[in-house]
Amino acid sequence: MRIVVLMKPVPDPASGGERLAPDSRLDRASVPAVVNGNDEYALEAALKLVEAHGGEVVLLSMAPANAPETMRKALAMGAATGVLVTDTALEGSCAVSTAKVLAAALKTLECDLVLAGVDTSDGVAGVVGPAVAALMGLPLLSYATNIEPDPSAGTVRVRRISPTGYDLLEAPMPALITCTQALGEPRYPSLKGIMGARNKEIVTRSLVDLGLDGATVGGAVTTTSILATTAPAVRGATRVIREAPAEAARQVVAYLAERKII
Amino acid sequence: MLRDAVRVLADERIAPRAAEVDRTSEFPQDIRALLASHDILGLPFPEAYGGLGVDLLTICLAIEQISRACATSGLILAVQALGSLPLMLAGTDEQRAQWFPSLASGERLIAFALTEAEAGSDASAIRTSAVRDGDDYVLSGAKRFISQGSVADLITVFAVTDPAASRSKRLSCFIVEVPADGFSVARVEHKMGIRGSPTAELVFDGVRVPAGNRVGAEGDGFDLAMRTFDRSRPGIAAQAVGIAQGALEVATAYARERKQFGQRIGDFQMIGAMLADMDAATEAARQLLYKACTEIEAGAPDASRWSAMCKLVAGDTAMRVTTDAVQVLGGYGYIDEFPVERMMRDAKITQLYEGTQQIQRLIIARDLLGKGS
Amino acid sequence: MGAIWVIAEPNPTGGLATISAEIATLGRSLAETSGRELVGIVVAVDPAGAATELATYLPSVRSVTEPAAQGHAWATLAAQHVAVLAQADPPDLILIGAGFDGRDVAGVVSALTGLGVLANAVSLSWTEDGPTVEMSIFGGKFVTTCVFTGGRGIVTVRPKAVEAEPAPTAGAVTAVASGAALDLPAVPVVDRVSEAGAAVSIEEARIIVAGGRGVGGPEGFGLVGELAAALGGAVGASRAAVDSGWIPYAQQIGQTGKIVKPQLYLALGISGAIQHKVGMQTAGTIVAVNRDPDAPIAEFADVLIIGDLFEVGPALLGELRARAG
Repeated sequence: MRIVVLMKPVPDPASGGERLAPDSRLDRASVPAVVNGNDEYALEAALKLVEAHGGEVVLLSMAPANAPETMRKALAMGAATGVLVTDTALEGSCAVSTAKVLAAALKTLECDLVLAGVDTSDGVAGVVGPAVAALMGLPLLSYATNIEPDPSAGTVRVRRISPTGYDLLEAPMPALITCTQALGEPRYPSLKGIMGARNKEIVTRSLVDLGLDGATVGGAVTTTSILATTAPAVRGATRVIREAPAEAARQVVAYLAERKII
Repeated sequence: MLRDAVRVLADERIAPRAAEVDRTSEFPQDIRALLASHDILGLPFPEAYGGLGVDLLTICLAIEQISRACATSGLILAVQALGSLPLMLAGTDEQRAQWFPSLASGERLIAFALTEAEAGSDASAIRTSAVRDGDDYVLSGAKRFISQGSVADLITVFAVTDPAASRSKRLSCFIVEVPADGFSVARVEHKMGIRGSPTAELVFDGVRVPAGNRVGAEGDGFDLAMRTFDRSRPGIAAQAVGIAQGALEVATAYARERKQFGQRIGDFQMIGAMLADMDAATEAARQLLYKACTEIEAGAPDASRWSAMCKLVAGDTAMRVTTDAVQVLGGYGYIDEFPVERMMRDAKITQLYEGTQQIQRLIIARDLLGKGS
Repeated sequence: MGAIWVIAEPNPTGGLATISAEIATLGRSLAETSGRELVGIVVAVDPAGAATELATYLPSVRSVTEPAAQGHAWATLAAQHVAVLAQADPPDLILIGAGFDGRDVAGVVSALTGLGVLANAVSLSWTEDGPTVEMSIFGGKFVTTCVFTGGRGIVTVRPKAVEAEPAPTAGAVTAVASGAALDLPAVPVVDRVSEAGAAVSIEEARIIVAGGRGVGGPEGFGLVGELAAALGGAVGASRAAVDSGWIPYAQQIGQTGKIVKPQLYLALGISGAIQHKVGMQTAGTIVAVNRDPDAPIAEFADVLIIGDLFEVGPALLGELRARAG
């Protein structure tokens, strides 16, 4: 099987050091970049699939030029190669551009499945995956907790989280699947994987290579803009109750009743 | 990225086990398996045999990161490297092909058996004998204080092959596959620190070893041991730097949180000064270690001096930093609710094994003053 | 001047999802300030019920019958209808929920129409720049106000951004045929499986009682469930509890789980680390029970009870039941 995993380098959510640049966008230098968390679940799912069915995993990223550093970790986990679409014109791209660029790049890659995280920890919108599926005309199987391809039949079954449990979806391959944490913890890269990653190929593509230009995609044609950024409202002081359980319970229930919550 | 990968593994999978390993004094087979499955035990071995073939510095970086979380676990890699060094330095291609693959994969562990009850610092005084008998040697004697001696599958044993020869020509080196007839583990010591690492007394009662298991020529043993230490002492220095760093981090975090007299204790100058000295000393030991690795790897003629120096400084630093870490934590440093008391107990061994600090000083002085008697 | 559209989402029984009622209410205040027309759109196998319900919130509802929605994934089908309707009669603002289906629809409509998306709105207004959206970013560290460069686009709205409130008079429902070609592959739903514990949708719950590492095991979640029942709320969990296998992922709250904004969030044995905090920090009232007075949750909880949750929990249950009985 040939599986493409969409991967986005994002500011490390654990760092807590995010700062804004003067134009209210994230100052990307202020925080180290890591592989988007949900994309790691997608990658892990893809690696397990090729371990079971044979084949290889290819990473696809639209990212700044320094992305290879972050992509190396994903390569160290076991992806075979990476494709990076990078172009200064793409700085400040919105989801519409991102989806167009990724779709254009995907058209140059043959694959059985496209896997992506359901959303990114920086944008948290969850729209690029479905948008790419629509642009490519691929079946969309989203919010997957389980992926079972049947390579001989050329189909794939996916469990999609539902409010009551899950829906079992089925589609012919190639298909696009958005992936959740429930697919399983990503593996630590082995040291052999890390050392091997140095020799794995990352192909770089610019807009010109994909037959696109800054007039149709990228920062110049972004559909959204940030007007202002502020700190959120601060919560009040914490009331600490140290009394014995019975008394503590009494106080809490009184507190909730006072506020008409119960 | 390699160092970060080991650090993450150490923080997430090894650190949570450290206290239990110390409390139970059980060799952590699960951590051994973890290191093996992540190729960490393969670091010292050539790629041709399934290893990663990295340099001395990289091995030490890994030992340092693991030891930060757990000194016993850091020792697993250090001993795997130590036990294999004679083969690295003087083994034949057949010998390497025979043993390196299973050592690189971590399937088998190897220990280094030189020390005896009556021969510690005075290594050449060992009495275990290896007598040639046809195609074999017969080993008789007992080794003491052998790290991981009771869990190893291969033992690198130094024995006397020519009692009449000069001090530096009496010994030869052998690889003994265990279990073997006549081989037994007489005891495992109860120790102050690195409790999860079994330190064993090994008895060789007429153990037959094929001549093909001899590493190097007859009489090469002493020289091989000394050359081994040049490359293995940095590993102990790395363990010591790791222990010191771990203790420093615990003490610093504590000083940030603990409040007395209305402020956090880290803001008191006496505490701040202690932490500053601990940080500077650890960094100095670290940088000396890294420099020593680079020099030794490059084949410096004074490799012994570098090796002894980095181990001397790192060992003393670890002892001092961990003692100060306990001090910073006060009463809490003395109880096992915090790891610093264990780190202090663990640190002591780095001043003792692979050559006491006194031996390290002898080596450095000898190099400084020119060869004496 | 384009209209404001509210795209209705189905709930598990085929009725109107709570979030759609909330968004419709939000739409009304936007329509008022902007003077735009306000329309609801329902796409379903049998849209009548949901459309009638939506019409109690909106002046006008267009209902589209899509038989394929019976056994196929809904979002892609609905999005294609919306996109074609949008071509014929371009709206200035398309509103939909920020849950799974809403995001899928937003993504597909965006691809088909070229309209931009602003996600996870917690509040919306209409200014000279058009739809003006407030959302929190970087785990709640900042709140940002955004607009569309072209003055029109798609906005996904967080649950509980506003409280649903019916309009004074019910609106009209018109059945329409969009004429959509439905070129995108429809994905068959082979089976719908119910799993225990997914009763109340966590994002819509007014009260959530959540358990973390301190709960200690699946048995401990019995107490969490009892408290949730006594409060009429839903059960949630931190990632630690889910990773340990004590409770399904569907109930996980936090960075890699659900973002919730209940009126009351009762956290039992949860440390409150950032990854969990981002999932619940906008809750109306946060009450935490923890043995550790220095746990991170102490910094943002409204009430912190220092104690063993297995003692405080039953005491709370006792008090609540005494009140009710």
